[in-house]
Amino acid sequence: MNFTENILCSKSHEYLLKNDDDTYTIGLTDYAVEQLGDIVFLELPEVDIEFSKGDAFATVESVKAASEIYMPVSGKILEVNTALADSPEILNEDVYEKGWLVKIKATGDSSEQDDLLEYEDYKEELE
Amino acid sequence: MTKETFLHDKHVKLGAKMVDFAGWHMPVQYTSIIDEHNTVRNSVGLFDVSHMGEVFVSGKESLDFLQKLVPQDISKLVYEKAVYCQLPKADGGLIDDLIIYKLGINYYLIICNASRIDEDLNWMVRNSKGFDVKIDNQSHNYSLLAVQGPKADELLRKMGLDTVQESFTIKPACICGYKLLVSRTGYTGEDGYEILVENKFSEDLWDKILAYGQAFGIKPIGLGARDTLRLEAALHLYGNDLDENTTPVEAGLSWSIPKDKKEDYNGKAVIMEQLANGVNKKLVGLKMLDKNIARHGYDVYFNGEKAGVITSGCVSPVLGANIALAYVKNIKEICTGAVVQVMIREKLHDAQVVKRPFIEKRNKVKV
Repeated sequence: MNFTENILCSKSHEYLLKNDDDTYTIGLTDYAVEQLGDIVFLELPEVDIEFSKGDAFATVESVKAASEIYMPVSGKILEVNTALADSPEILNEDVYEKGWLVKIKATGDSSEQDDLLEYEDYKEELE
Repeated sequence: MTKETFLHDKHVKLGAKMVDFAGWHMPVQYTSIIDEHNTVRNSVGLFDVSHMGEVFVSGKESLDFLQKLVPQDISKLVYEKAVYCQLPKADGGLIDDLIIYKLGINYYLIICNASRIDEDLNWMVRNSKGFDVKIDNQSHNYSLLAVQGPKADELLRKMGLDTVQESFTIKPACICGYKLLVSRTGYTGEDGYEILVENKFSEDLWDKILAYGQAFGIKPIGLGARDTLRLEAALHLYGNDLDENTTPVEAGLSWSIPKDKKEDYNGKAVIMEQLANGVNKKLVGLKMLDKNIARHGYDVYFNGEKAGVITSGCVSPVLGANIALAYVKNIKEICTGAVVQVMIREKLHDAQVVKRPFIEKRNKVKV
C-alpha cells in the first residue's frame, strides 16, 4: 500500500488515514519527523478519551524540543501504538506502517477534513 | 541580518540542518544529534564554533584591567595557560562567562559567547577608563574549529601538531603547514583542541581535518550535540544556566573563585559575602526517573511546593536517561539522592538530585 496516496495532511504536520473499517489512523508526516530529528519520547493519550479537532492529544520529544501533536479531526481514541513507548525511535524509521500514533473513531462532521491537504499538495505547500 | 561563518557553505553542502543561533546561521545537526554525540564520546568530532568571540587585550595595564573584570586571579595565570572566568557586574550578576588565555607579557586573548560579544565589549570598554589598555575585537577575522573526543589528539598529531601541551594551555602550532593558535580546551567534557585560524584558511583546514579524520570515523558535529555534550559534562550555558541575575556562587562556580585575590573586582563585595554566608538558590543536577524530559523554564517542586526552575535539560545518550540542571532553594533537604518533581505539561514527574557532572569528564590531560 502506498500510504502517501491515501493520507490527508494537516498544516501542523499530522496525517489522517482512513482505514477499511471506517476508523482513522493518525500519525506524524515524514516531513515533521525529519524536522524534529532524533525522537526520544512520546506521550500518547489513553484509549476512550475524546478530543476535538485541533486539540493537542499527544506530545513528541525530540532531542531538541517538545512539540504538541494536534487532532486533524475530532475523534475518540480506540487504540494507541504501544510499541512507541519503549521504542520512540521507530518514528525516525517509519512514520506510516510502524510509527503510527493512534487509531480513532471520528466523532465530527466530514467537513472537518476540508482544510486537510492531499500529500502532494501538502509537500508543495512546504516548498 | 543573520551572520554566516566562513564555513557556512561547507555545512550546507554536508546537508546540515541550519538554524539561527545568537544571530548566526549555524548547523544544528548534520545527521542525528545522538549519533553525533556518540561520535564525540567514542572517537572524534569536528565543530565550527567560529561564531564565538575573540577579543585581544594588550597594553601596559592589561593585567590590572583584567583583575578588575573577573573574580579569577589573572596575576597567577602563566604564559600559555588558560583560565575559566566570569564577567560579573557590581551586584554579582553575570554579563558572560569566558576563557582568558595569556599569550604574552601584557597580551591576553578572551574567548566569549557569540550571544554576548556586544555586551562584553561595551562592558570592557566602560571598565577600561583610566587603564592603559587596548581592547581589540578580532572576532570577524578568525574562525574557531573544535576537534573533540578521545581520538582528537591522535588525529591532530597525524596532521603535524607537535606541541607538548596539557589541558587548558594554548600554543602557537603548525598543522598542515598553517600557523595556528591551538588550545587544549573544549565544551564537551572530552579531551580535545580548539583551533584559532584566520578566516581565509578555515575552509581548507576544515576539509583537511575531515579527510585525515576519516580513519577515526570523524563526523562534523552540530550545535544540537554540542548542547547535549556540554550538559552531560554539566558545563554552564550562558543564557540558560547563567544570566545577569545569577552570581557565580549561586551557579555553583565557587570552585573557580580564589578567596585570597587581593585586588578589588566588579561584584567582589557580593561574591565574598555569598562565599562567607551562603546563598538562597543553588544549581543542582537532576536525573529524571521516568522518560519525560525537563526543559528550560519548567518549574521544580519539593514537598508539594515550588522550589525552583529548570535551566537546561536534555537526553543523556551516555546514561540512557534524561538529565537537567535546575536552580532550587538552597535548603539542605534538597541534596544528592533527594527526589524532587518537575512540572511537565501540568503533571509532576519525579527526578533525583545527582552529582554534577553527570558523566565522568575526560578532559584533564597532563603531559
